[in-house]
Amino acid sequence: MTIVTGKAEARRRLQPGWSGALRKIWEHRADYAYVLPAIVVMLIVIAYPIYYTVELSFFKTPPGLQLRDKSFIGFDNYTAILTSQVFWKVTWNTLIWTLGSTLISFVLGFATALALHCDFIGRGVLRAILIIPWVISAVAASYIWKWIYHSDFGIIGAVLVGLGLTDRPPNFIDNVSTVLPSLIVVNIWREFPFAMIMMMAGLQTVPEQLLRAAEVDGANAWQRFWHVTFPHLRNVSTVTILLLAVANFNSFIIPWIMTGGGPSNASHIWITHIYELAFGRQRWGVASAYSVLLFLILMTLGYFYVRALSGNERKEGSA
Amino acid sequence: MSAIAETASRGRTRRRRRVDGWQWAGRCFLLFMLLYTALPMIWMLITSIKSGFAATQFPPQWWPDEPTLASYQKLLDPQNSVGQDFLRFFWNSLFVSTVTTILSVIVAVPAAYAFSRFSFPGRNFLFFAVLLRNMFPAVIFLVPLFILMRAIGLVNTHGSLVLTYLTFGLPLAIWLLKGFYDNIPVQLEQAARIDGATRFQAFILIVMPLSTPGIIATAIYSFIGAWNEYIYAYTFLSKNDQLTLPVGIQRFFSENTTDFPGLMAASFMMSVPVVVLFLVLQRYFVRALTEGAVKH
Repeated sequence: MTIVTGKAEARRRLQPGWSGALRKIWEHRADYAYVLPAIVVMLIVIAYPIYYTVELSFFKTPPGLQLRDKSFIGFDNYTAILTSQVFWKVTWNTLIWTLGSTLISFVLGFATALALHCDFIGRGVLRAILIIPWVISAVAASYIWKWIYHSDFGIIGAVLVGLGLTDRPPNFIDNVSTVLPSLIVVNIWREFPFAMIMMMAGLQTVPEQLLRAAEVDGANAWQRFWHVTFPHLRNVSTVTILLLAVANFNSFIIPWIMTGGGPSNASHIWITHIYELAFGRQRWGVASAYSVLLFLILMTLGYFYVRALSGNERKEGSA
Repeated sequence: MSAIAETASRGRTRRRRRVDGWQWAGRCFLLFMLLYTALPMIWMLITSIKSGFAATQFPPQWWPDEPTLASYQKLLDPQNSVGQDFLRFFWNSLFVSTVTTILSVIVAVPAAYAFSRFSFPGRNFLFFAVLLRNMFPAVIFLVPLFILMRAIGLVNTHGSLVLTYLTFGLPLAIWLLKGFYDNIPVQLEQAARIDGATRFQAFILIVMPLSTPGIIATAIYSFIGAWNEYIYAYTFLSKNDQLTLPVGIQRFFSENTTDFPGLMAASFMMSVPVVVLFLVLQRYFVRALTEGAVKH
């Protein structure tokens, strides 16, 4: 069966040039009907906006969305961005935010998955509780933590004062040096369950026999983890880390609701900054140029993402 | 014989003892994670049953002196204006999320099936194009989409939200479902075709029932995503009677900044539907991730 299709495939591949490709498309015309709805929706909501953003980034735009009055200014928006002080500040924040959130979420999620990987009473309940932060709305999470960090009535401040560590409750999110770490804690609270679920799913695919064999050969728990479990999870880990990195790079709600980027840009990351440029200060051209830069960065990340995924595909094909 | 049994049992005890250190570390770590996860939510609940006065005490009342459900009564009472707004936001969120969920299942199922079964030219390109959508933040699309929605007259309607929510739910939905279809043997369909079913009938009668867990997982994901979405709703909707919960709550509490019990009660009630939905159906979700995304 497979051999026959293989031959047919090979014969078809021998068809040279365009006529072959067109014939192939024609032969499969019915297949496209299945994908068409998805593609059409994607085109309207994705391809058009991307095109429009790129176009707008080369124009000077008046405030308000009276875009007929825009004028072409070439790369001026881009040079304006790259020479501004705020850009480097925001980029640095984004870097800390993305790396910090991603790595700590992943490590915590992975460790939790490992700790949950054995049977004990209440395991299901515990797992369910740990997932809840990921499910609830980021808006709700932001308000909960804003209340926890509150400078007058916040519970953390109260505990610190109660323990005698400080005289008066510290102000976590109105302080330039503590605001970003404080927000990262909130973000990790919401993100680590995702890593946990992914790694728990991954752990189920590690073959028991291999672990037992390693044990018989005298490997201790750490060696078993490092030499058997971890290599098996390399693909899942890559995909999880990339998904987390992209999600964190793109996060908006937590900084926007908790601080709005303040104080003095200390918690502005790219996305909140772009949003403020566009909808706050109505500088659509500059915001679009920012978006294009963002787009380029994400395409680079996306390249690795696709490579990690197609690594999976290839392995599946050979198995 | 007895020697083998003896070594076996000794091996077992030794293994148990050796794992113990790690197990204790694991337990302590889990306890820490449990506290980290649960304490903020518990504090939310405790605050929500305080009076406004009790919430703004220092040092805080760890347990309210006079617990009260006043905040919940206020939010759920259709007679006063706060309750009216809250219930309307709730209804709007429910409507938008449900429509999004239904549509995304209708669109994702055939697409995932095609990506799994057919090898048409451009299949890989289209598949990765769909996946790449996941990578781009809402902000990139916001300005052009706003203009587009204005051009086709969808600004200030729930249609604009449904259309955009569809696209960010679709990539993962298609990905998860494709994994499911990959694992359903083609022979099952072939058998049905031999018995005289058309491809479509084989799909509806054989493949669909087998992929129910995947479809449920997809539906949960879409629903939760739509329910929690904030940025598009914040930008596309400006009329008060159309807001969804996240935006509505934010609008409301940027005007009443000191009503912390009310805010916590609202946050709690906004979370209840998705948390319940997820807890009831989570095994499908975890299974779908295992089979669809990870097992290769």
